Amino acid sequence: MIEYIDISKSYGDKVLFKDFNLEIKSGEKVLLSASSGSGKTTLIRFLLGFDKPDNGNIIVDDMTLNHHNLKGIREKIAYVSQDTDLPSLTTEALLDKIFSYKINHHIKDYRDNFLELSKTFQLGDQVLSTQIQEFSGGERQRIGLIIALLLKRPYLLLDEITSGLDHDLKALIMNHIVNLDATVIIVSHDALWKSESSLREVTF
Amino acid sequence: METTNMFMLFFLVLPVFLFNFHYAIKMNGQIAIAIFRMILQLSLIGLVLQWLFDMNTPWINVVYVVLMMTIASYSMLKTTKLSIKTFGFHIWLAVFIPHFFILLFFNYFIVDLTDIFDAQYLIPIGGMLLGNSLSGNILAINTFYKQIKDGEKTYYYNLSLSASRSEALKPYFVHALKSSISPTIASIETIGLVSLPGMMTGQILGGSIPITAIKYQIAIMIAIFTTRYLTAVLAIYLTRSRAFDDYDRLKPHVIGNS
Repeated sequence: MIEYIDISKSYGDKVLFKDFNLEIKSGEKVLLSASSGSGKTTLIRFLLGFDKPDNGNIIVDDMTLNHHNLKGIREKIAYVSQDTDLPSLTTEALLDKIFSYKINHHIKDYRDNFLELSKTFQLGDQVLSTQIQEFSGGERQRIGLIIALLLKRPYLLLDEITSGLDHDLKALIMNHIVNLDATVIIVSHDALWKSESSLREVTF
Repeated sequence: METTNMFMLFFLVLPVFLFNFHYAIKMNGQIAIAIFRMILQLSLIGLVLQWLFDMNTPWINVVYVVLMMTIASYSMLKTTKLSIKTFGFHIWLAVFIPHFFILLFFNYFIVDLTDIFDAQYLIPIGGMLLGNSLSGNILAINTFYKQIKDGEKTYYYNLSLSASRSEALKPYFVHALKSSISPTIASIETIGLVSLPGMMTGQILGGSIPITAIKYQIAIMIAIFTTRYLTAVLAIYLTRSRAFDDYDRLKPHVIGNS
């Protein structure tokens, strides 16, 4: 369970949040669809400790986020960023690196699972040997998503992951995510996500 | 070379001044000041060195070398725009540890001195190590922190994947170290082919036979390489403990903007 409790945050004169509250239950799929510039991405960055609220608490599974348990909280979260900021390597080298990290080391079958999911998400056969920079934005988004899925973490934060895709692919990905056994926060403007009734839409 | 012969150098720079005047290149003032400064600085250093060599007291020699290291550290902090208050001691330590120990190792095992604090070796070799690791260290620190600052989102992404700061920082560390040592590897590869290194030239002019000069040159190149490598490693290791906050975020203003 994720709780935002009385969150306040300002950047200079701009007040982004004032006494903001939000509770996300385990297994819930939440769509953050507020207008751009309203701080949707900031909410995600709070959870990962990339940004700190001026006031208020963030609670993940009964742990109040602070520097002692931040690492433990990060370990629960898989994150796909808006611009999918993947390092410049081949996909294969990137996967090997990610799954060499101590916390991901127990996941052994990542290569096969990656190939299977990349087929599902319509990435080409050459996906492993291609340099990340050579992919289009939409392809990178899907690679980022597959990596996040392979990490098998209980929380999934997806920031505008379908913005570069056509309607059919969007629907395919949405379908996949809606049926996941994880708590998911989706940030999107897209009408397609809004039309999905199993998502709880949060606007602010 | 007698001091009086030095006056002949005037005729060596005269054509530059005349051409500049002829082409209205307004640099003569600047050049004159630069040359004057050089003469003044080197003369003063010459006096100090002469005094140090005459005294040849081990503790004074060590103090002088440590002073050189302190000035080098200060110059590094200035160039990298790292905050002196936050990182001054760490950078100094990163310079001091490898330089001091490699210098003593060099004097004891390579040059085989009975007095390892002998001014004639301690000071010029210390100076060569410092001069050469300075640029490498600046390169390492700049590369390391600039990459993280400019690619903040990728760094955060790495952090979300690994959850650990040291794993997320590793690729930046490797890249910084590589960019710091690759110029030295290049100069090790081409040395002697492109130009004769300064130390060798100096020794040959001073009357040593080429074989001796070459032995020293090989020794100093390896010492320079290791010192440069270790200084860069230490500088990153020691500064990074204070460069990030308790949420693993690079603190603002760690490194200058230009």
